[in-house]
Amino acid sequence: MERRALRRFQRNRGAVVGLVIVAGLLAFAAIGPLLAGHDPNTSDFAAARDGLGGPGGPSRAHPLGLDPLFRDLASRLAHGARVSLLVGLVATAVSVSVGAVVGMVSGWAADGRAGFVDSALMRLVDVGLSFPYLLLVMAIGTALGDVTIVTILLVLGLTSWFGTARIVRSKTLQVRSLDFVVASRALGQPSWAVLLRHVLPNVAGPLIVIASASVAQMIIAESVLAYLQVGLPPPTATWGRMLQEGQRYYTVAPRLAVAPGLCIFLGVLGFNLLGEGVRDALDPKET
Amino acid sequence: MSWLLRRLAVSAFTVWAVVTATFVVFNVLPEDPARVIAGPQARPADVARIREQLGLDRPLHVRYGRFFGGLISLRPPADPATDSAVRIGGVGLDLGVSYLRRRPVTELLGKALPPTLLLGVLALIVQVVVGGVAGCLAAARRNGLLDWGTVALTLIGISAPTFLTGLLLQHFFARTLGWFPLDGYGATWGERLHAAALPAATLGLFGAAYYTRLVRDEMLVLLRQDWVRTAWAKGLPRWRVLVRHALRNALMPLVTVVGLELGGLVGGAIVTEKIFRWPGIGSLSVDAIVERDGPVVFGVVLLLASTVVAANFLVDLAYAVLDPRVRRR
Repeated sequence: MERRALRRFQRNRGAVVGLVIVAGLLAFAAIGPLLAGHDPNTSDFAAARDGLGGPGGPSRAHPLGLDPLFRDLASRLAHGARVSLLVGLVATAVSVSVGAVVGMVSGWAADGRAGFVDSALMRLVDVGLSFPYLLLVMAIGTALGDVTIVTILLVLGLTSWFGTARIVRSKTLQVRSLDFVVASRALGQPSWAVLLRHVLPNVAGPLIVIASASVAQMIIAESVLAYLQVGLPPPTATWGRMLQEGQRYYTVAPRLAVAPGLCIFLGVLGFNLLGEGVRDALDPKET
Repeated sequence: MSWLLRRLAVSAFTVWAVVTATFVVFNVLPEDPARVIAGPQARPADVARIREQLGLDRPLHVRYGRFFGGLISLRPPADPATDSAVRIGGVGLDLGVSYLRRRPVTELLGKALPPTLLLGVLALIVQVVVGGVAGCLAAARRNGLLDWGTVALTLIGISAPTFLTGLLLQHFFARTLGWFPLDGYGATWGERLHAAALPAATLGLFGAAYYTRLVRDEMLVLLRQDWVRTAWAKGLPRWRVLVRHALRNALMPLVTVVGLELGGLVGGAIVTEKIFRWPGIGSLSVDAIVERDGPVVFGVVLLLASTVVAANFLVDLAYAVLDPRVRRR
């Protein structure tokens, strides 16, 4: 099964392109800051300037030029990649874990003696899904005053698991009535063991699909927050804030807005392609 | 009937819970609205005075009681001059007064709602027309160049966040070509429609990317059905098979998606409204959050949660009317 899925993935051209983009971004985040060779937050006033005395364009010392505060653009992009990927991956991990646990517990408890647990959790999910998500994240972000990367991770992760929980619950309900699960319960296995050994592997497929699509959503969410100036505070380099700061200089130096915009687009595209590849590989019926 | 009542109760509970959670989040977290309003240079005495004026010195449960207690009133106002409620028939809806703007929240929401609805409806039209046509064409030419191109374009559309598309459209069509205004709203309906073109395209194209895939996937399944093969065999023209025999059967799920999106319509435009300085609910809510204007935030959240819940309710109701099995669950 796994080998066939892997082969389907390899034959999917889009998925391979997605994998290449994601790998490239990971490499950029990992070694980019070293290659750029400049501190992302230090102004280099000694560098060559443009005709008006403003920050200079691409040169040998600064391959992508300087930003309006004379900081190295390439170095800032690479540090921004760290923020975006870290937020995308960790917030997804938080969101998918919480969603999986809540969904499995809820599905397991449904219609039994603990049915009230299921009802309570699903009402919570209803409420969560009716929340104006972006407003909630912004409200928490601004209210906390000083936002760190941990705040962003937790806020994004803990406010986005509701849909996952609902999907995992319905899958758990299906798996629960399968013969091997009924048998292991009859043999006296405790609930947690059955959930861990028999239910979790069977809901893992949808979880992987949700997770790979979720990374792209998290990257967008982080950049939207930064763009609306409620994300990580300056001088931290994030793609969203660099785009927001760069758009004012669009006529003079388009690269200031184009470069971070392109990075956001590539990041989201890469994870979307990867996610669709994984979905099609795990579930060939869908294509 | 009991199904309907239970469903209504759950809806009401959901809206109440969302607003209460917002209230708690907004009031428990450290930053003080009075301090934001007074400004960074204010003396502690002034901040304290503002706190008292706004009722922020009262304990949380008193403020909570005041907000929900005053929400709906059946009696006529004691003093019409200071009344902050809107009245429909004998029932008044009072969301309080904005901390900063000193206007009733209902009035601010009433002003921001028409621009948002205009934008949302236009965007939805773009989404359904572009997505519907592109999805049908792609499905009809499955695995052809057109299909391949459409799928690639939708991927790009899904992956470009709205602020990226918005900025690009703004740059090319407003700044470079000068066909549309850069941003803003407009005084007459003609001006408003003209100004709405770019933000509506931004939102609509993003939605269209999703919608194209949905239409395509639905159509691909339907085009494999027996009755479609029969229709081909009868020698019916291509468009007739596509529209009358396939698309017609896809309408139910496609309309459902639009119905559910109606709920998110009001809240989905925050970023787009910010880019194009569109004076709608999105701009109002972002400003209110940054300014720590509690009553406006609660008002917006109440409105958004109500529209989402109402849209879900109506879609469920439509299904229950059409399919009796739903009611028995």
